[in-house]
Amino acid sequence: MFDHGQPSYAEVNKDIISTMLETGPKYWMLLGGTMSVAGIFFFMPWIYQLFVGVGAAGMNHNAVWGSYLSNFIFWIGLSHSGTLLSAVLHITNSPWRKAVYRSAEAMTLFSLMTAALFVMVHVGRVWFVHWSFPIPNQMGLWPNFRSPLMFDVMAITTYLTASSIFIYMGSVPDFAAVRDASTGLRRRLYTIFSFGWRGTAREWHTLGWAYTFFAVFVIPLAVSVHSIVSWDFALSAVPGFHHTIFAPYFVCGAIYSGTAGIVTVMYCLRKFLGFSRYIGQVHLDSLGKLLIALSMIWTYINIVELFTTWYGGTSYELEALSFRLTGFYAPMYWEMILFCAFVPLLMLSKKIRWSWNKMLVVSILINIGMLTERFIIVATSQPRKFLPDSFGFYVPSWIEISITFGSFAIFATLFLIFIKWVPAISLYEVKETLKPLRRDA
Amino acid sequence: MAIVGSFAFEEDFLGAAKTLKASGFDKLSLLSPIPVEEAYEVIGLDKSRVRHFSLAGAIFGAIAGFALAVGTALVFILPTGGRAIISVPPYLIITYEMTILFGVLFTLLGFHFVSGLPAWRDRPYLDSAGIDRFVIVVEGVAADQATRAEAIFRDAGADEIQQVEDGQ
Repeated sequence: MFDHGQPSYAEVNKDIISTMLETGPKYWMLLGGTMSVAGIFFFMPWIYQLFVGVGAAGMNHNAVWGSYLSNFIFWIGLSHSGTLLSAVLHITNSPWRKAVYRSAEAMTLFSLMTAALFVMVHVGRVWFVHWSFPIPNQMGLWPNFRSPLMFDVMAITTYLTASSIFIYMGSVPDFAAVRDASTGLRRRLYTIFSFGWRGTAREWHTLGWAYTFFAVFVIPLAVSVHSIVSWDFALSAVPGFHHTIFAPYFVCGAIYSGTAGIVTVMYCLRKFLGFSRYIGQVHLDSLGKLLIALSMIWTYINIVELFTTWYGGTSYELEALSFRLTGFYAPMYWEMILFCAFVPLLMLSKKIRWSWNKMLVVSILINIGMLTERFIIVATSQPRKFLPDSFGFYVPSWIEISITFGSFAIFATLFLIFIKWVPAISLYEVKETLKPLRRDA
Repeated sequence: MAIVGSFAFEEDFLGAAKTLKASGFDKLSLLSPIPVEEAYEVIGLDKSRVRHFSLAGAIFGAIAGFALAVGTALVFILPTGGRAIISVPPYLIITYEMTILFGVLFTLLGFHFVSGLPAWRDRPYLDSAGIDRFVIVVEGVAADQATRAEAIFRDAGADEIQQVEDGQ
């Protein structure tokens, strides 16, 4: 599991905690860069849109949903790797989970936050966003729980809460280790963060039980969240949206893009935080195999979607399908097929699976494909519904493109802040994979 | 008074803990850098009460979720195309999400209740317990028993033994 020999317990503490305590100018420059990009490309165009109205985006009468919602689905999807994968691997007791899960869970949290921002951008008048919560407004009007949008509010709020608790509770013993390695204000802060953890048998025992229950709750929750996001589309009668396969399609796509996201994040942790000792070939190989399996399921579901639409023979479904495959956005559709169905097959070769650089390229291409997939669903269905007099066209405006670009900087900023406050690799779980401290070991 | 002993090896730590327990020292805290299952047995931990909190939270969440959806529909009636006002299938989704939400929140509550955390007061502790040492803390030791406890630590192979004040 360890590429450069097993570290000692003390080295695990030193290696991982030092990435939090020692901060060089490169980090500050990078953080400043991502914050600036987020400010210029995300928040400034958003503020502009708040002033001039949501008409600044390319959405129009026939296409009332645009890239904001496709980005929302993309970020929700990216969130699905972390907590879900971590919970599944915890329940199945997979040892390779231990070095990667903390950062994967952080990905979940920050992807969800970024996704939530897109809802606020999409709704236009963000100051009324609280109307979507189950509280009555000034007219005594309560939200309608028969709407899939309300399912979304409940599911995403629950997922954000559960994921935050899941990552925080898993970090408590590590916060105590940081407390012990720090002095002054940082020590006082981490004393609070760690709840005064000492690592007694009772504390470990209780945490073990609670953590397993969190994992058990989180697995069905994660599946439900993306199913519910898919129902935003599938419960409408719009051709291209109204498919019963959408729930498994979205869940599979979410785990797929999330797992590719983990590979990208692992590459960065190895490269920039020097975690090559802890994140090794076994992790890359396992994630590569998982990506191959997910790409095949994703491809199968796409084939089923095409087949059932064609076999159904409904004229307006066929029109939407034809527009998707051969219309204005056809190059993007086929790009998606290339990146998500064919490129992952390269990982069948061990040479690709064992090369960090090649896997980075593959993982980024998969996520470009998945971003495109969400855009294609939104942009080729609504403007092509039913009769030709309701046909329209949707092209994102520069505001939307800028906000999409800026959202990656928001995610990067949150992640950069995270790695300075929380150990990016779980100290105690990595120690569990080492040779035990026993005379007979 | 409390006696604190630190061990480099797990079996020495467990051996000392069992001997101390057998010798009548009941206020034992077994500190370790990673979870040690055998330590749970030494201090008699079996199934955690956290599970009762999880179950209670899930049941409460299910009831609250369904009640929220039904209550909302009844408070402000929105007739839509002749559909049922209390429409069970969509309300089950709200119920499902709330079941999980309160299951998680109650589990968190259970963790704090059962583990006794947060506990920010000073308690006997060695920083090395968070790195690579197994530490036993025996609290409430009378002066005449201290020598006996220290002897048990020494015989078991402790590499550091300290006398400290009990936790506040």
